[in-house]
Amino acid sequence: MTNLIEMSHISKAFGGSRALHAVSLDLKAGTVHALMGENGAGKSTLMKILAGVHRPDSGEIFMNGEKLDLKSPRDALDAGISTVFQEHSLLPNLSIAENMFLGREPMTRLGSIDYRAMNRQSAKALGELGLTLEPTQLVSNLTIAERQFVEIAHCIQADASVLILDEPTAALNAADVDVLNRNIRRLRDKGKAIVYISHRMEEIFELCDTVTVLKDGALVGTRMVSEITTDELIAMMVGRELQDLFPVRMGEKGDEILRVENLKITETSRPLSLTLHRGEIVALAGLEGQGQQRFLRSLIGRYHPFAGTISINGKTLKMPLPTSAGVRRLQQLRVGFVPEDRKEEGLFLSLPVAHNIAIGLHSRRSELALARSYRSVIARMMDAMNIKAAGPSAPVGSLSGGNQQKVLLGRYLAADLDLLLVEEPTRGVDIGAKSEIYHLLRDFTRKGGAVLVLSRETIELIGLCDHIYVVHDGTIVADMPAAQATEHKILDAALMGGSMRQH
Amino acid sequence: MYRSLFTILSARNTRQGLWGLPLLVALLISLWLTVQTTEFATAENLFNLVAQAMPLIIAAIGQLVVVLIGGLDLSVGSVISFTTAVLALGQPAIVLIPSVFLLAALIGLINGLAITRFNVHPIIATLSTQYIVLGITRILRPVSGGTVPEAVIGAVSGSLLGIPYPLFWGIVVILVAWKLLYGSRYGLHLFAIGGGIASGTESAARNFGVSDRRNIILAYVICSCFAAVAGVFLAGRIVSGDPNVGLLFELDTVTAVALGGTQLSGGIGSLHGTVIGALVMALLANGMNLANVSPFVQTAIKGGILLAVVGLQSRKKMGL
Repeated sequence: MTNLIEMSHISKAFGGSRALHAVSLDLKAGTVHALMGENGAGKSTLMKILAGVHRPDSGEIFMNGEKLDLKSPRDALDAGISTVFQEHSLLPNLSIAENMFLGREPMTRLGSIDYRAMNRQSAKALGELGLTLEPTQLVSNLTIAERQFVEIAHCIQADASVLILDEPTAALNAADVDVLNRNIRRLRDKGKAIVYISHRMEEIFELCDTVTVLKDGALVGTRMVSEITTDELIAMMVGRELQDLFPVRMGEKGDEILRVENLKITETSRPLSLTLHRGEIVALAGLEGQGQQRFLRSLIGRYHPFAGTISINGKTLKMPLPTSAGVRRLQQLRVGFVPEDRKEEGLFLSLPVAHNIAIGLHSRRSELALARSYRSVIARMMDAMNIKAAGPSAPVGSLSGGNQQKVLLGRYLAADLDLLLVEEPTRGVDIGAKSEIYHLLRDFTRKGGAVLVLSRETIELIGLCDHIYVVHDGTIVADMPAAQATEHKILDAALMGGSMRQH
Repeated sequence: MYRSLFTILSARNTRQGLWGLPLLVALLISLWLTVQTTEFATAENLFNLVAQAMPLIIAAIGQLVVVLIGGLDLSVGSVISFTTAVLALGQPAIVLIPSVFLLAALIGLINGLAITRFNVHPIIATLSTQYIVLGITRILRPVSGGTVPEAVIGAVSGSLLGIPYPLFWGIVVILVAWKLLYGSRYGLHLFAIGGGIASGTESAARNFGVSDRRNIILAYVICSCFAAVAGVFLAGRIVSGDPNVGLLFELDTVTAVALGGTQLSGGIGSLHGTVIGALVMALLANGMNLANVSPFVQTAIKGGILLAVVGLQSRKKMGL
């Protein structure tokens, strides 16, 4: 069978970081093609290129042997490529029918939108999916599952020959997943090429014909699903040597510093408890959006969980913490929060390195206190952290990613804290800086501090941490000493959820 | 009946916003004025009321177009004054009328380009053009004066088959706006872009292949052109050019739009709501005039209304 779509040597970088490197992907009509890989492996980027949202830096796309130049989502839609994006993209203030026909509305001879035809055809497409929704209903009134189905009906209605489904089942319950899978098979039998991105193993083996695995923006391989086992597939996703960049572990731990009890992230999620001791680096692992980040942000009051208590250094606080006082209050308890997105949430890019570090020192003093210069502290910090900058007065925005990250971390290390909550300690940072950051965090615990880390890079968690908790669906489903953890084990627990619980 | 009334008042399953409530307010004010004063329910007063309300209704419809895409146009007041000043330049109507619309479209184009191409915040971009246009207007006509062409005066005075001209033109403008907002692709795309912006997914409409930039620029052009229509209307009423006639119109239009149940965050609102909102403003002014409330106090009251109405808008109307 010939390929309907051929993506050839696609590369894409965002800023300095490489998202895709020479990835090729062939899609055949009448097949379901799974796209797998860890978080951040480049799956979504690859599909956004096929959907015309991003343009590749290099590489070509062919459809039926003809070169496609996708300048915008409109071009992709016109070529017959429809996408259900991971983030829901329906417009809440438009009706189902209006959403389904947006951008290609049928017109009457008088030049008005032909609502009657629009509603009729929408009802038909919804009916094909076995839905009885009223096409005139506003999307804001629909449940998440209903919205998902409307998006798929939208693809059917557009009569696309290629359908991209980016984690379509993430928000669905089992019954809805069944309905969805039935429809995907039906579309496959009608000769559509379907790309299916999912983390759920069972779905891949049940539904897909071919699977392509990406890792760190590169192609690992493409296999027939019938010729591969679950273990082999996981091995493809993991397959990387542990680099020698991590500091040695401490071995012994000190007094308890953080205790979280019965934290319920939402009303329905199962309670979560954990403890953290001085000298320890503890990680929360898991797939994206399973609640790790909400957990961490609950501790600083940036997310309001349903219930729970935390005690820090023996002082007990009841959740949810107030948004306004969260970070400040925690700072008084000698806890620092290092956010994931250093450019948006962490640093003041246009301000000098010195100010960015000093703000951590200033923030613990009263609002009206005179600002000290902290010149010597900053100089010492920059020296100890090996921050490469033109000087303390260089704007942080002019530094490389790795040095920016060190400045951000330096802010909290300079502030003489006991506990650091770190989201993504090394995102978008080169390998040398990564290693330096790992050593800085380990040194911090050697001096009696403790670190709670959240990272998408499993390998980093294994190498850096003492203990790993795997989070799935808002609760901890597995915990293991990092020395005994493998990527395989963690991914297994993260994918399978509660079925693999181990102690 | 009860049910549909409830749907209107609670604004469920609709993107028209809460327009039932201001309608109720308008009716209550009218009733109260009818009972309390003898002057209100006279043909002459009602004619005056409509004639007074019409420029605001027209300009507010333009403002609505911009508000629906999550923007704001503070230059409408200056555009109105500018239009009257241009019309009083002493040229024939056949030259002046096309000129005012071309100039208004140009101002709208500048607003739109500043916002979409140069990422200037709508309030700042339109505040700048407000000053620029006000300056040019004062150069053209430092104090009110000059004469507006006969044709313009004639078009807004008198009546045709018993329908006063102001009412006639008002209905024409509303019908055009109705077609634009509800009978064209562009209208739906305005709601789509605004809905995306209000729900925090600015690229949503673009993912559907709807060009947001071009549509946003066009919205500001349309807004300015509606302001120019209001300016022509006012010029016909006051017979001369006046650099101050459009004063505070930008705030009055925003108040009328908000009063009509339109969400200032975009994506939710209605034409009828805006017309009702403008009528409520006119009724309040009319009532306060009849009750001898000082114009200064009236201005302060209008500001209070804007604050109250926007404060009462729930920000998360969109269910997201």
